[in-house]
Amino acid sequence: MIGYILRRFGAAVLVLFAISVLVFLIFFATPGVDPAARIAGKNADPATLEQVRASFGFDQPLPVQYLMMMKHLFVSHDLTSFVNRGTLVIPQIMDAVPVTLSLVVGAAVIWMVLGVAMGTLAGAMRGTLVDPLVMLLGVFGVSLPVYWLGEVVNLVTQKELHDSVFSWVPPLGYVPLSQSPGQWALHLLLPWLTLALLYAGIYARLLRGELIQALNEDYVRTARAKGLSERRILIRHALRCSLIPIVSLFGLDFGALVGGAALLTEVVFGLPGVGKLTYQALQNLDLPVIMGTVLYAAFFVVLANAVVDVLYARLDPRVRRA
Amino acid sequence: MKRNLPIAAGAALLALSVSACSGASSPAGPAGSAGTAGASQASSAGFQEQHKGGTLRLQAKSGDGTLDPHINYSNGNWQIFQAMYDGLLAFKKVGGEASYDLVPDLAEAMPQVSPDGRSYTFTLRKGVKFAGGGEVTADDVVASFERIYKVSGPTSGTFYAGIVGAAACVKKPKECTLDKGVVADKAKNTITINLVEPDSEFPLKLALPHAAVLPKDTPDKDQGTKPIGGTGPYTAVSYDPNKELKLVRNPHFTEWSREAQPQGYPDEIVYSYGLTAEAAVTAVQNGQADWVFDPLPADRLSEIGTKYASQAHVNQLSAFWYLPLNTNLAPFDKPEARQALNWAIDRQAVVKMFGGANVAQPACTLLPPGIPGHADFCDFPQPDLAKAKDLVQQSGTAGQEVAVVVSDDEVSKQIGEYVRSTLEQIGYQAKLKVISTNIHFTYIQNDKNKVQASVSQWYADYPAASDFLHVLLSCASFRSGSDSSINISGYCDKDIDARMAEAMTLDRTDKNAANAKWGEIDRDLTKASPIIPLFTPKQVDFVSSRVGNYQFHKQFFMLVSQLWVK
Amino acid sequence: MSGAEPVPAVAAPVRPGAGPWRQAATRILRNRSAMTAGAGLFLIALVCLLAPVYAGSIAHTDPFVSNISGTTVVGGQEVQVLQQSTEGLGLGVTPIGPTGDPGHYLLGADNQGRDVMARLLYGGRNSLLIGVSSALLCCALATVLGVVAGYFGGWIDAVLSRFFDVIWAFPVYLLAICLSVVLLTSGLHLGPVHIDAGSLALPIVIIALIYVPYVARPLRGQVMALRGKEFLHAAVGLGASDLRIMRREVLPNILPTVVVFLPLMTALNMLTESALSFLSVGVQSPDASWGTIINDGLALLYTRPMITIAAGLFVALTAVALNVFGDGVRDALDPNARLRGGA
Repeated sequence: MIGYILRRFGAAVLVLFAISVLVFLIFFATPGVDPAARIAGKNADPATLEQVRASFGFDQPLPVQYLMMMKHLFVSHDLTSFVNRGTLVIPQIMDAVPVTLSLVVGAAVIWMVLGVAMGTLAGAMRGTLVDPLVMLLGVFGVSLPVYWLGEVVNLVTQKELHDSVFSWVPPLGYVPLSQSPGQWALHLLLPWLTLALLYAGIYARLLRGELIQALNEDYVRTARAKGLSERRILIRHALRCSLIPIVSLFGLDFGALVGGAALLTEVVFGLPGVGKLTYQALQNLDLPVIMGTVLYAAFFVVLANAVVDVLYARLDPRVRRA
Repeated sequence: MKRNLPIAAGAALLALSVSACSGASSPAGPAGSAGTAGASQASSAGFQEQHKGGTLRLQAKSGDGTLDPHINYSNGNWQIFQAMYDGLLAFKKVGGEASYDLVPDLAEAMPQVSPDGRSYTFTLRKGVKFAGGGEVTADDVVASFERIYKVSGPTSGTFYAGIVGAAACVKKPKECTLDKGVVADKAKNTITINLVEPDSEFPLKLALPHAAVLPKDTPDKDQGTKPIGGTGPYTAVSYDPNKELKLVRNPHFTEWSREAQPQGYPDEIVYSYGLTAEAAVTAVQNGQADWVFDPLPADRLSEIGTKYASQAHVNQLSAFWYLPLNTNLAPFDKPEARQALNWAIDRQAVVKMFGGANVAQPACTLLPPGIPGHADFCDFPQPDLAKAKDLVQQSGTAGQEVAVVVSDDEVSKQIGEYVRSTLEQIGYQAKLKVISTNIHFTYIQNDKNKVQASVSQWYADYPAASDFLHVLLSCASFRSGSDSSINISGYCDKDIDARMAEAMTLDRTDKNAANAKWGEIDRDLTKASPIIPLFTPKQVDFVSSRVGNYQFHKQFFMLVSQLWVK
Repeated sequence: MSGAEPVPAVAAPVRPGAGPWRQAATRILRNRSAMTAGAGLFLIALVCLLAPVYAGSIAHTDPFVSNISGTTVVGGQEVQVLQQSTEGLGLGVTPIGPTGDPGHYLLGADNQGRDVMARLLYGGRNSLLIGVSSALLCCALATVLGVVAGYFGGWIDAVLSRFFDVIWAFPVYLLAICLSVVLLTSGLHLGPVHIDAGSLALPIVIIALIYVPYVARPLRGQVMALRGKEFLHAAVGLGASDLRIMRREVLPNILPTVVVFLPLMTALNMLTESALSFLSVGVQSPDASWGTIINDGLALLYTRPMITIAAGLFVALTAVALNVFGDGVRDALDPNARLRGGA
């Protein structure tokens, strides 16, 4: 088991390394990104441009530049932005993490409750009209473009009905929990719901499938034969087993979202989280910030992947040899 | 030489941040172009004690790069620097036409110029203090001029390249010394600046933030987010380009010249970053913010122009939007092909994409109205598609492929799409390429990228014809293979170059004759059509209902320190 | 989804005399919701294919030509398509809104004065084309890579698995944006393959690549499970070549899963395309897709919200239909396949 975990860990490091190299190479392959020209301004003298390039270290060979960047990121922790010189990358990410966590945790609570309720309901009421109706609702959740939904929600709550039904909706943006818990929740309510709708749909659909499968399993038949009530079978037996894949999927999704996968939701609702930071850095083509945020995101994705794999390996020793 | 990034439109969530000089926009003109609002007669009335105090809340999508005045080259920060730093000279800090007048700032009077026009002598004002408490001395002035080169300031090799010793400093910044170029006489408290060649625009350049006087112990390195205490009425206490810039009163400031550096009204100025223009406009409407830096979203303009008309200010900018055509690549290496597009473009239509006739004015000339040398001619007045098609046939380029490269802000995309559609109509196979706003400006400059046509814009650095014509279209501004080649068209006409040099020489002795000459050059360049002028934009400033004393400075836009919030 | 999940093979009650594919087809035909969704899809595709007819014979406009200064007729009166505000300070220009008259801007005009309805239909062709082609390309690539990784195992599997991990951990939108910035400026040149910048093939390739691990990893797991099965040992024993075994023995066994993925990937890819267009890295003008129309409409959200809302509804309805249809295919072919959408 230890060997497996070590191998898994080694692979994860390798993946992170490959991603960092990829980001680095893509950046330098893109024409027009030279931050020296952008900073040196319009019509800068070529000699000035050379000086500014040198001050960024762009006169060094690419591998050296890569190593310097990694050193600043991981060893001295003083990697600074190319675009806003003097702005440290790591504190920027650290400042964005609570916002993303606030968004993701809140949304996760909502979607798990909704998803499990909808999935269970549909699975238990199979054969009645409730099942297809609930599932259609789930399909809609999965099928709406999340940013479009966010924009439409904003349109309705900030403009069309802002003077009547939605006068309580605060302006876009984020209020820290420590500053005012009430405002924090109020500002995040619509983003939570928007993000949760998508995942609730996914989880409800998945859970329903698992439940239906579980209800056909031998152990359920045994339970039925013992004369247990359908509700008891559903909740104590079938649901419990069906939740295992749900929980592992949750681990993967949660990891990705904490890493900034809620980019579109954050951008649309003006939440200064990791996703928005990533988005801004990409728009600015600010390599150090892109590198920081991408590695941060990849770390959580790889971590979640590894944790889920290791847990699976614990449950199923055959995987270890694969 | 700067230019503004996007403009009116909504989307482009992106940040204005990068691009060295991007920027802001500017507001109100002189005695009220179109604008309104009740403020603004107060300028000459002296300081009005009853309006002092309060916190002014400004909004922008993001900060605009370093806070170092010797390096930052964005309209947005130049506007704020007006309340933080001073040079030897300054543009008069008033609204209207007079804002282009130079006045002595840290100098006691305008400089004495030697007969050969190569040396300027300033007497330093006494008793002016930095925010750190130290008094401004001749040493600070010398150190500040050297610092322009030591930090490789963006204009060190252009605006200030004429100072004796500058050439060496640009090449070897670390060892820079200007002992022959900027000479202090401590006994007389004077500074003498010696130039290699006479430069009639030199005083204008001294009034820009890049020539601000900073304490001599300021490190010779981009200070980034670390504020440098200057001599203005406000000083920064914190700056985070993703969060906010906070200015408080400079405790050592006393007003020495009301027209050069008036004391400010608000006690604090807080510039918050992060909200999109849409959200910021909503915040101003609801009284949660006082002003929006970013171009106003196109779909909010009509609402602002009606329901909030009293809070909107519209002013002509010294800028223009234009199409650079690559004169070294087919099909626009043929003058007929370029002229064809000049005839085909319907400028009224393009103006509509910017927000309509009251937000922009169709441009016939390269020099915007208000810039010395602007002449009222219009050689391509109405679109004439038939003529355009003929010219395309004559040029023998019909049917060729043309790609128009635009940045991804809404207005540029719209204009690009219109230009693409027009090119199709006159006989080309046209495509549109949309790329990130933040690389677009450098991308189109580099001739390696083989950009045939694009959409760009240019904002005056200071009021001079050369800042448009010489910068944008002289042979020297074209640098093959470089991202910094502002002559995007790659246009080079030795004859025009010679005439521009004459005009600049003439400017020293006879401004009117020089301006007439610039007007002729403008006309000939417009005919050659290496770039096609589209329109002169106007700045729409939207302020909260509590804001008073709005004044629009032609060079640095809305005078932030003069706004009343009480 | 974790690559470690074993995916069971086809679980269908065997009816003597009918092949598994025919059985599945029968099951889908009996599935009422799947058939309704399928009919809906057919209708949407048909309407989009008829876009030239709508533009030419009903709306009488060319939705790819700017019409900034044009006029149209509303209620018998000639009006400007792009109207300059005349009240107050007269700031801003607003395109004509929905008129309800198919001959004159049924859903209004966009910023360029073009007919929104006609563009929606043309845009639908591109959205569907991108969705379907990228799903096909993605599934084809994923099948090849998944089969190779699962069949050979060892170092080949290790390398391919890390490759999947890299793409997987590289956040979807970042990957797409990075690729697009490079590709949109210079086009794609890979050996003999040349895709011009601005070509529709670019978003197709980008989106297909992003989701390769998503499909390939479960396939790999499934192939690994097959490796232990007797019929493969038998084939090896008979001296069949690897290629032949993969093609004749492995592929038929995993094909149902691949087919299950197709409609669902199409829906997912269409949503991704629209999200990429929102980030300005999708289809290039003057071509339209539902995503670019949503994005164009966002600039007019406060004055003409219908543009964005209509385009979004088209995307959502098509995605719903694809998902419902896809569920039907899954139930018919491989009820245990585990799939999910992205954020």
